[in-house]
Amino acid sequence: MNGLLLVARREVATQIRTRAFVIGLIVTGLLVAALSFAPKVLGGDGDTYKIGLVNSQQLPLHTAAPDIEFEWRKFADEPAAKQAVLDGDVDAVLVDDARVLTDGEIETELGVLMQSVNREFKLGAAGVAIPPLEMQSVGADTRYESARRGIATVLVLVLFMLIIGQVVMVAMGVVEEKGSRIVEILLSSVRPWQLLGGKIVGLGVLGMINLVVILAVGLGAAMASGLAAEFPPGIPGLVAAVLAWFVLGYAFFATLAAAFASLVSRQEEVNSVLTPLTMVIMGTYFVSFYSTNDPTGTLATVMSYIPPFSSMIMPVRMAATEVPMWQVGLSMAAMVLGVLAALAFGAKVYERAVLRTGARLKLGDVLRSR
Amino acid sequence: MLEINELRKRFAGGPDAPGGKVALDGIGFTVRPGEMYGFVGANGAGKTTTMRIVMGVLQADSGSVSWQGRPLGYDDRQRFGYMPEERGLYQKMRVAEQIEYFGRLHGMAAPVAKKATDDLLERLGLTERKGETVQALSLGNQQRVQLAVALVHDPEVLILDEPFSGLDPIAVDALATVLQERCRGGVPVIFSSHQLELVERLCDSVGIVSAGRMVATGTVEDLRAAESNTLRVVVRDPAPGWADGLPGTVTVHGDRHTLRTAGGDDQEILRRAVKAGRVEHFGVEQPTLTEIFKEAVA
Repeated sequence: MNGLLLVARREVATQIRTRAFVIGLIVTGLLVAALSFAPKVLGGDGDTYKIGLVNSQQLPLHTAAPDIEFEWRKFADEPAAKQAVLDGDVDAVLVDDARVLTDGEIETELGVLMQSVNREFKLGAAGVAIPPLEMQSVGADTRYESARRGIATVLVLVLFMLIIGQVVMVAMGVVEEKGSRIVEILLSSVRPWQLLGGKIVGLGVLGMINLVVILAVGLGAAMASGLAAEFPPGIPGLVAAVLAWFVLGYAFFATLAAAFASLVSRQEEVNSVLTPLTMVIMGTYFVSFYSTNDPTGTLATVMSYIPPFSSMIMPVRMAATEVPMWQVGLSMAAMVLGVLAALAFGAKVYERAVLRTGARLKLGDVLRSR
Repeated sequence: MLEINELRKRFAGGPDAPGGKVALDGIGFTVRPGEMYGFVGANGAGKTTTMRIVMGVLQADSGSVSWQGRPLGYDDRQRFGYMPEERGLYQKMRVAEQIEYFGRLHGMAAPVAKKATDDLLERLGLTERKGETVQALSLGNQQRVQLAVALVHDPEVLILDEPFSGLDPIAVDALATVLQERCRGGVPVIFSSHQLELVERLCDSVGIVSAGRMVATGTVEDLRAAESNTLRVVVRDPAPGWADGLPGTVTVHGDRHTLRTAGGDDQEILRRAVKAGRVEHFGVEQPTLTEIFKEAVA
């Protein structure tokens, strides 16, 4: 165990000091912060209607539709109001509490709203009180749908970038040691599993540092920008789940990347030997991305149980919609089994291949050897 | 005592060698504590393969390696120092950190590893470079770092593959001094080299390997004694036919006649030579290691 920790510590100590790591961390931090402020800056403040009044009273439209802003302007006479409508200064003008002037057809939402509020207002004035309809949802809670979708989209991107980045680092590290024969000296003092495990743990810790910084900056900036007010409940649980899923997904892909990388001896060959694995990661990413739009669909649901796809799709589903605990537990159990299988397979390949320098080895030959 | 017995290894055949290639065909020798053992042989003779098998980097098909009378295991090898043929260092890691790291991997506590590193850097003249990355060093200095990595944990046995290759004479001396010190401390040292004069100068024993077999092994004196030593006599302007009836061959350069012979009565030869002319040289020629080597692998 001591050997594993020493190897892991070296990975962390050497990487964390590199300019690439520090700059990468700062850049992603800034990007995430910018993303948290973007909806406020770009999206503006939702719908706004400008309504003119000629010899009329304001209707209590805002009470009926709290999400929508209304701006009221008074006009002295009808011709002035007409001109304003035609110039696009106002969306509609209420004249004498009886007529509405518009440029062409009125927007359906505004029209319906004005009609119904006007009706209620007049009835109320006549002493008739109508209790408003009580809304009851028997389906999923859709209040936070857009916020959830946003969070899920950002999450997919972050998980994908981090996993592929760290996985490639693991592969390059393995080839660095194999190609330069450092591995020959290393393996006379530590066991192959210690070397492999240390590298995976060390680079995983670095990935975690990245992820924690991204989550902390993202949440901090969201609170600062007021975006957090629109977040659904259960964010701390989601953060914990994302960390756990990252660990599982990373462990799976990193182990296999190390195993594949141990088949080659030159950095130039890393890309081609990793191709099948990067394809799977890309596939996982695409399905996850699709799932942000259709988190309850069959594809997302089924794939969120199948390792290694589940490692990215399940957290996306959890962010995008509500997933019962038992489903999360089942999917996680399957993924843990997947990771164990990857570890068993990866350690075997690595151990047999990492000392055989030279030409690229065939996976089948390695598995058959000894 | 490190004993290597009857190692055999065949590499699987590729497209260019369908039947496979025999790398080792019964390599065996013994290295005693405090002995410096020179391992010589042509390229591809099996030196590196043997060393890699000793270090557990490669598995032998058959044969055994034992240390202190027991089969050599993983725990023993942790106390060995190894310098592989192809140098392996982390290029982007700093010199002192790198040496310390390997010390710690061998089980040294952090302060002990640091002290050992500082001492070695001092001995190898690298103290001023300790904070630089390995890739910033010259090849000779990188090789010194490589040696420091092999030595940092005060190993019980040293296995060094071509430690002197590519070094300038001053670096060779520095390295040789360090190795001789370890040797005097009772550490068996095995190193391979193509610099036979160096091997002759440094080593107590030599093993000559050719095509996967040991063709000669023993102390340098033993190997010399085993060779048929040549008596060389040089006579200036001798009477014609002076060497008739003597064993050996005569070569003539100007008025200088040289008789070389591996047998015969040396006193009789000397008397005949003195009678024939002026004797400029009379002596037994000791073969150099280079000659022994060429003879052995021929």
